[in-house]
Amino acid sequence: MMDAVLRLEGVTRQYSLGKTIVHALRGVDLVVHNGEIIALMGPSGSGKSTLLHILGALDTPTSGTALIDGIDVKSLAERKLTQLRGQRIGFVFQTFNLVPTLSAQLNVELPMIFQRVPRRTRATRARTLLTRVGLGDRFSHRPNELSGGERQRVAIARALANDPEIIIADEPTGNLDSESGGRILEHLAGLSRDDGKTVIIATHDPDAAAVAGRIVRIKDGRLITTQEGVHV
Amino acid sequence: MFSDFFLLSTRGIMHRKMRSWLTVIGVFIGITAVVAMISIGLGLERSVTQQVAKVFGYNSFLVVGKNAFQSPHSAAKAVHVNLNVIKQVPGVTAVAAVRSETGFVKGPSSAGKSRQGFLPVMGLSPTLMTEFSSFLGDLSFAPGGRFFRPGESNVAILGHAVATQLHAQLGYTITIEDHQFKIIGIIAPKTTGQGASFGLNRTSNADTIFVPFDQMNVLFGKSDKVLLTLVKTAKGTDVDTIAARVKQALKAAGDTTVTTVTYSDISRQISTVMGSVSGFLAGIAGISLLVGGVGVMNTMYTAVLERTREIGVMKALGARRGQILSIFLIESGLMGLVGGIVGVLFGLGLSSVAAAVIRGYFNVEIHAVASPILIVSTLAFSFFLGAFAGWMPARRAAKLPVVDALRYE
Repeated sequence: MMDAVLRLEGVTRQYSLGKTIVHALRGVDLVVHNGEIIALMGPSGSGKSTLLHILGALDTPTSGTALIDGIDVKSLAERKLTQLRGQRIGFVFQTFNLVPTLSAQLNVELPMIFQRVPRRTRATRARTLLTRVGLGDRFSHRPNELSGGERQRVAIARALANDPEIIIADEPTGNLDSESGGRILEHLAGLSRDDGKTVIIATHDPDAAAVAGRIVRIKDGRLITTQEGVHV
Repeated sequence: MFSDFFLLSTRGIMHRKMRSWLTVIGVFIGITAVVAMISIGLGLERSVTQQVAKVFGYNSFLVVGKNAFQSPHSAAKAVHVNLNVIKQVPGVTAVAAVRSETGFVKGPSSAGKSRQGFLPVMGLSPTLMTEFSSFLGDLSFAPGGRFFRPGESNVAILGHAVATQLHAQLGYTITIEDHQFKIIGIIAPKTTGQGASFGLNRTSNADTIFVPFDQMNVLFGKSDKVLLTLVKTAKGTDVDTIAARVKQALKAAGDTTVTTVTYSDISRQISTVMGSVSGFLAGIAGISLLVGGVGVMNTMYTAVLERTREIGVMKALGARRGQILSIFLIESGLMGLVGGIVGVLFGLGLSSVAAAVIRGYFNVEIHAVASPILIVSTLAFSFFLGAFAGWMPARRAAKLPVVDALRYE
């Protein structure tokens, strides 16, 4: 049995939207093992993004326990939570979210700047990571000089900057054509397969589900099924 | 670390070039106004102080009635001064006094008739020319005229207006209180603005007749009452110390209504007056600076709103609150600083032009002063103005929950 890197026990999350209280998560139990690749699927408004935020330590549960590497995120002060995110978790967003004023290389260096990695070390690492995602000739390009697929590959390189154990990808292929999307999924699958990283992908894309080792379905804030995927 | 944040901040500024420049312009206009006002104010102060120094020299002082310089009326009030007491104070090398009376004057007779009337008569020590020439201002005589010589008597110098009224010319004889005086000089009408505060050729002296100081005793009776007394001190002595000694000696001799005025007394007064004038002007200019500050604040607020999502991403990537705050503070501080640099350059340029205009039109020797303290403090101020204006929105940005920031459209 692999180690549990993420563990949710009875997690609920409520928001107040004006006078209405929204129950985004209604008691979620989930264990994610080290090196797993999981596809998190569900319709819009199912609580998929909220669950992803809690798994990525971007948000904390209203009740229940969320453990990352055995650490209860609710017990951490903001500073520690930020540190945890910066060092152990990498994010890939649907809309890439690259900083438009910075080159591809500097975008990849950004998480390392926040972790105070020395300039030379982080430049070398950023170039290595960009080369690995096939952007060895795009170091100094700004996001607006790159295609959607290339931008998402920069985002993947950025997510790997501080060598985190967990990669959280929120609809990573949502804004891409199927060919570019396929390349992105291949990169993400490679992270689990070759580097032993834990990868969680929230997606509507059946192709994404195809690369997952396990599919977790969510509806109305509850997990409905989890099934073993077809590992390609 | 700082250099990384500096880089991120400058990229942010350059990305919104137009708006950044507009913000910088807001600050620069305010700074230009403040710097120009202060610089010209300092220049004016220096110019006035230098003029006073030119008149006084650095080793002379005045003995006048108390409160002489507090109201224009009291300045003309004669006071009792024992000149012999002053002469005996160690360190005093020369004393000159001015006494003023009104005398009955008859002009030169022409065909048995002469013009006559009561006119101001001023007694001047001959040492005024030899020891205190700067007090006489740019004294210029009509051709052939000259000042009194030591020991000379029954000679007079006329203001140009009184000379015309009496139909008097150089070499003619006039009568003052039944004594005859030969005219040895007629003061030329004033042609420049220089020496307006002091000097014999100022406009108010155009109607005055000047005679040697000692002859006033003959004309109007012996008196120690004088308008003002000038005292020169020996080289290498401290004027203020000697002035204090003179004051003490006069007090001991019973002249309690007098006081001394040294160069440092006057320059101190000038500094106080000019300081409040330039402070007032800088205050007015400061209002435009405030408007600039509000401009920076507005830009920073908009920038933060626009970049809410970017801030969310940075936080997701592990940026701490303090780090985000730093990026925004550097960004707004930098805009303030650039506005400050441009403002200082323009302000100094503007004040130089203003000084040149004043020199040209008013014939006053004035130069804009680029004091290093002014420059450094203005630059520091503009940086902090910018940083302060960015502080509120930056704090708001840094405090935003990550999830909210990421959801921001």
